Amino acid sequence: MDTPVKAAAVVLDSVSKSYGSVEILKNVSVSIAPGEVVTLLGPSGAGKSTLLRCINHLETISAGRIYVHGQLIGYREVGDTLHEMSDKEISAQRRSIGMVFQSFNLFRHMTVLDNVMSGPVHVLRMSKPQAEALARELLAKVGLPDKANRYPSELSGGQQQRVAIARALALSPSVMLLDEPTSALDPELSQEVILTIRNLAEQGYTMLIATHEMAIAKEFADRVIFMVQGEVVEDVPARSFFSAPRHERSRQFVARHAG
Amino acid sequence: MAEPRSVRVKHRWRWGAWLLSAIVLLAVFMLISAGVRAKIMNVEVFLSYLTSEQVLIGARNALILGTLALVVASVIGLVVALMRVSGNPILAALSATYVYFFRGTPMLIQLLFWFNALPTMFQRVYLAVPFTDVVVVDAPTTAVVTPFVAALAGLALAEGAYMAEIIRAGILAVDKGQRAAARAIGMTEYQVLRHIVIPQAGRIIIPAGGNQYIMLLKSTSLASAIGFLELLRITTDIYSSNFMVVELLAVAAFWYLVMTAFATAVQTALEKTFPQR
Ligand SMILES: Nc1ncnc2c1ncn2[C@@H]1O[C@H](COP(=O)(O)OP(=O)(O)OP(=O)(O)O)[C@@H](O)[C@H]1O
Ligand SMILES: [Mg+2]
Repeated sequence: MDTPVKAAAVVLDSVSKSYGSVEILKNVSVSIAPGEVVTLLGPSGAGKSTLLRCINHLETISAGRIYVHGQLIGYREVGDTLHEMSDKEISAQRRSIGMVFQSFNLFRHMTVLDNVMSGPVHVLRMSKPQAEALARELLAKVGLPDKANRYPSELSGGQQQRVAIARALALSPSVMLLDEPTSALDPELSQEVILTIRNLAEQGYTMLIATHEMAIAKEFADRVIFMVQGEVVEDVPARSFFSAPRHERSRQFVARHAG
Repeated sequence: MAEPRSVRVKHRWRWGAWLLSAIVLLAVFMLISAGVRAKIMNVEVFLSYLTSEQVLIGARNALILGTLALVVASVIGLVVALMRVSGNPILAALSATYVYFFRGTPMLIQLLFWFNALPTMFQRVYLAVPFTDVVVVDAPTTAVVTPFVAALAGLALAEGAYMAEIIRAGILAVDKGQRAAARAIGMTEYQVLRHIVIPQAGRIIIPAGGNQYIMLLKSTSLASAIGFLELLRITTDIYSSNFMVVELLAVAAFWYLVMTAFATAVQTALEKTFPQR
């Protein structure tokens, strides 16, 4: 394995993905450095969610390789063949990859505290008191120290999303994948979630964020990856994407989302 | 703006519903008084059999059979439901076939099959641990398949098909998003099932399961056909010798109602313990 792969936080090396005969990701190559905040933009159906879900092997890929901190994800390479890993090995890899979903996906039968503790307790086998201390600390970090004993159904969308972020952080991931973290929220609630994400960015978390929220891309992302129909059309510093989009599709996209 | 006045609220009087209630109550009263006048039932005989030892044994046997059958059926149902949603086409087909077969034939036929047909097909039951000398069972089939064993097997296997469908519906009701989130924090497939899917599916399954428990308690009466001494068998045996048909059927009905009340209480308690979120 060459050094760039080892040094990068996330590497997608010629990744393709098909559902049946439809190609959803077409030969995607991307590299993200540790501490970098990258937004993934593109029209609906471009394959942003699919790309994120491939990185933690929630979806299988049809060709190519994905590395997170130098580790080949989901497969073991033997000779010239990739063998899919066992359930146990894949779940072990996922521990270091945090994921936040558009629809929050909190565990509805658990309190907020139990949601955040679930990873440390069941996956990391941390002791309950230790996990609880960690969970309370993270809930304070996302601004919800007083909601520990509530159930998800008793929280607003913005609060649920911040709990979901705390739940992901509880495993001390080295990379965070966020799939439209604010799309299900109205502007006011979006704001509190964006603030939380911004804090993470400032603390140096490596993040890949699929979003339709231009504020994230403009205000604190280092880089923009613009996708259309499963292909990476542009992969540039965030500033230059908005000031000087190179391709026709990106120009249209920037024009539509200007303001 | 005008000074606020206190007003009285007078709701409409629902005449129709009250009229219907009165008519139904009157009809019930007339029916009961007609029954009393005609002396359709000897209340003393009813009361004396109600708590007789034989009847209590029958009620206990029915409760044990029904409850055990539900427990075994739930385990079968869970396995069959998991096979169905496993994504493996052969397991799914086997599961669907099981459900079709055991839900599609009358329970009574299944009980008669296990008790009467099985021993004519296989004279001996022989079960040993492979590659060792350990013999678990080696006996004539008729000695192994007692009325209780046949009834339990029949009820549990038939009920397992219903429970499989109920559990499958419960599993499918837990949204994919939560399962993806559980995987994303590093849970194995087993942990996702154990910590996320089953607790939530369980809550959805409880009301339907309570219903099945009641059905099953009453279905234990089918075991009377293969000579298992449950409630119906015992009461019919008694009235075939003393001809107190009404009294003894009423005794049986009474205890089935008690069992149903018990099952309902269990269901309510479970629903309170695991509230829907
Ligand atoms: N399970 C699936 N089976 C078949 N096609 C799928 C499946 N999931 C997604 N697709 C297709 O893959 C394409 C990319 O979907 P994806 O959800 O990754 O897009 P996206 O960029 O996240 O869009 P959005 O902005 O609407 O979330 C779409 O055309 C979609 O219809
Ligand atoms: Mg998407």
